[in-house]
Amino acid sequence: MTNYIGKSVKRVEDKRFITGQGKYTDDIKLNGMMYGYFVRSPYAHAIVKSINIDRASKMPGVNKILVGADIPEAIAGVPCGWQVDFKNGDTMKEPPHPLLVRKKVRHVGDGVAFVVAETRAQAKDAADEVDVDYEILDAVTCPKKATEEGAAQVHEDAPGNLCFDWELGNPKDEVAAAMAAAAHVTELDFSNQRVVPNAIEPRSAIGHYDTAYDKYTLYTSTQNPHLIRLLMCAFVLGIPEHKVRVIGPDVGGGFGSKIFHYAEEALVTWASKELGCPIKWTADRSESFLTDAHGRDHVSNAKMGFDSEGKIVALQAYTYANLGAYLSTFAPAVPTYLHGTLMQGLYTTPKINVDVKAAFTHTCAVDAYRGAGRPEATYLLERLIDLAALEMDMDPAELRFKNFIPAFDGVEQEGYTTQVALQYDSGNYDPVLKRALEMVGYEEFRKEQAAQSNGKLLGIGFSTYIEACGIAPSAVVGALGARAGLFEVAQVRVQPTGKVSVFTGAHSHGQGHETTFAQIVADRMGIGIDDVEIIHGDSDSVAFGMGTYGSRSLAVGGSAIVNSIDKVLEKGAKIAAHLLEASADDLEYAEGKWTVKGTDKSVSFGDVSLTAYVPHNYPEGLEPGLDFNAFYDPANFTYPFGAHVAIVEVDKETGEVKLKRFIAVDDVGNVINPMIVDGQIHGGLAQGIGQAMHEGTVYDETGQLINGSYMDYCMPRADDLPSFEIDRTVTPCPHNPLGVKGAGEAGCIGSTPAVVNAVIDALWKGGFKVKDVPMPMTPERVWTAMNN
Amino acid sequence: MIVEGTHTFHVSAEQLWNYLMDPEVLAKITPGVSQLELVGEDQYKTVSKIKIGPVKGAFTGKLHVIDKDQPHSFAIQMEQLSKIGNAHARVDMAIKTIDAQNASLEFNGKANLSGLIARTGQRVLSGVANVIIKEVFSSLEEHIEEQNIT
Repeated sequence: MTNYIGKSVKRVEDKRFITGQGKYTDDIKLNGMMYGYFVRSPYAHAIVKSINIDRASKMPGVNKILVGADIPEAIAGVPCGWQVDFKNGDTMKEPPHPLLVRKKVRHVGDGVAFVVAETRAQAKDAADEVDVDYEILDAVTCPKKATEEGAAQVHEDAPGNLCFDWELGNPKDEVAAAMAAAAHVTELDFSNQRVVPNAIEPRSAIGHYDTAYDKYTLYTSTQNPHLIRLLMCAFVLGIPEHKVRVIGPDVGGGFGSKIFHYAEEALVTWASKELGCPIKWTADRSESFLTDAHGRDHVSNAKMGFDSEGKIVALQAYTYANLGAYLSTFAPAVPTYLHGTLMQGLYTTPKINVDVKAAFTHTCAVDAYRGAGRPEATYLLERLIDLAALEMDMDPAELRFKNFIPAFDGVEQEGYTTQVALQYDSGNYDPVLKRALEMVGYEEFRKEQAAQSNGKLLGIGFSTYIEACGIAPSAVVGALGARAGLFEVAQVRVQPTGKVSVFTGAHSHGQGHETTFAQIVADRMGIGIDDVEIIHGDSDSVAFGMGTYGSRSLAVGGSAIVNSIDKVLEKGAKIAAHLLEASADDLEYAEGKWTVKGTDKSVSFGDVSLTAYVPHNYPEGLEPGLDFNAFYDPANFTYPFGAHVAIVEVDKETGEVKLKRFIAVDDVGNVINPMIVDGQIHGGLAQGIGQAMHEGTVYDETGQLINGSYMDYCMPRADDLPSFEIDRTVTPCPHNPLGVKGAGEAGCIGSTPAVVNAVIDALWKGGFKVKDVPMPMTPERVWTAMNN
Repeated sequence: MIVEGTHTFHVSAEQLWNYLMDPEVLAKITPGVSQLELVGEDQYKTVSKIKIGPVKGAFTGKLHVIDKDQPHSFAIQMEQLSKIGNAHARVDMAIKTIDAQNASLEFNGKANLSGLIARTGQRVLSGVANVIIKEVFSSLEEHIEEQNIT
């Protein structure tokens, strides 16, 4: 009965996307709608001495100009959804994040006033005339410097700019003892630089208060409409949830940055009632650079100890994580429970300690960005092990094979319990690296590398990664500080004619859910894929949902759909049994019909559906209808893994790096739509390679973002990338009904260190014993590393 | 943003000082400046238009001449505001006598930019600013030569 699963069914949503018929928030126009534009701070840290709106208020079309003082004190600001406390038990510092600042701005782009006018252009013109008098103060942008004495303070109630100081794993003295006994210790100081998410669709929100129904509607470019409704109603505006509808229509990319509840969403919702009209705000590109929560930004020191055979004996990691000026929704979880917990990697390291200090700085908030914490952990581990191989003169692939955790399927063999609070579900790590080496032609490559003599340095870099995704078991994340559950919801509504509407709490913003989920439903129900419609993104049609992030949609949301289908088929069997005058136990369901085993007596899914809604001849005591939902809370995270290999050529004279080949062998468990998984891998690779080679957010010492445009911030382009060589192994997830693990973040997690490792290998083999080239590896940085 | 450089003039240090302290001369030689109005002792109100690549804007602001040590050194403190961002700068100027007919002017300063001009093209602005300052001094040199001829 598998007609669709495992096939590269073309994406049904692409027709509207590629013909320009997608419907994004900014495409929505409501009667009487006004347009908002923000006056944002040009300074990173300043006291707002006065705001004069007199001239601006008289500008054409202006309806209202709101400043911080106009917002009731009761609206404290947007909340944080995750609490991570100090290791001594002190509570995390959680300063308020107001919708518009009242006294002080804390980063360039902080909202100071909101101008509402009849057109966007009028609002923008009037915003230019709002006169704000600032007293400029010193700023701090580096998370490490922020914690030093004498650093400018971001919040009065977070002394030393520390949000929390956290650790995980074995006690430090045990790790130190193992490190002291090691035959070789590799140590590295490095940064994992800040990147801007750069979704192609800027954030946008429309607030609409409908007086007739006393009901609010918020249209917003989000990855999780229900979560926004919950956070905004319960923690910001204090309006009852049943009086608020949140719609996340088509969304043009999120990469994590559209998970979070932003001040703009609450402001347009609240202001639409105050002003008595719908209000639309859409960020311009400059605002996106300044205010979409950024990613990464760690400053780290790490040590990995090895015995004389090359077995890892200890890992100690110290990280300063930049949180920016305010706590974004998931921010505390990213450098801790999504980062520290991954320090086991694929290795049997017996002693691990990870120490994280999270600091406020005068910069845009930092939160989850594709991979969220796991790319940073992978970067740390994989840079260390490749560098150790060079230092110990061992083969980096061999060194990994020596340290891999042995295979376990999570069924016959138990899951693998790490030193850092996780239990891996299933894993078989040798084959991914073996397959990657085969694809590379490893021995041949090493010969070619040794023979290279044309002023170019060839290098190869490895990265073998694991990620914890499919987030997550509610009880587990609750124990780790999450303030919400992380289950997912689905509803399968069979229509009387046997057509199926599926409502999912997951949200598609590029992932292709309308296709992948439909494949599952069509297969499991034995019906045509055209008979299935996937509905998402509207809190009034979908019962509930936690949304899409952490590579969770298929593993958690897809499993919820499967459980709903099981309920539908179970009830359907009772109706079929009645129609066939047989016992339900004697029926089997295949290809869209119930058949009495061993006979040719059968009844179709369509007939059963019709009977459920026209119950004239119907089982006694059974309710009419065929419509079930399921709340699926997974038993564990899922743990995709893989091996990525980069081959680069470095120009000895200029330091220019050319990425010649990129090989990725990923294991994401079972695959529903190979084409979509390939697409996810490709996109992730481009993003991860972009961080290694091109991207990097630069704040100057006064806190100005100095590369806040596409002229200044380098995004990877097609001609920067080789044609990717990808393959997969399949180790099913043992604890969800689809056996799937998640593919959205894998490419972005594994690729970055592979590229940097390849450059280090090239330099090292060329006689330059360079330990690190800071990302992005511009020719200037590579040249400097070679010539210092 | 850092600006720094040196320029040699064929006048004495004292004469150079006098030229530099003359607002009419300054307004004439500074690119983009359409107005330099004396509002107090050593204090000027300025209006200027600047275009650097795609970024263009009209700045209004204040310019103070401070820390005067005739004819050896002074500093210019500026605050320039515009819709595309603001600039706060201090440039230290040192005049050194080479001989009776020649003096050099060394400048060294730092500008803090904010707003759109800070995040768009700032990496090239330092170079541009140095070019603009060089233009100022070349114009001043021409002006001096004209004066000497007439």
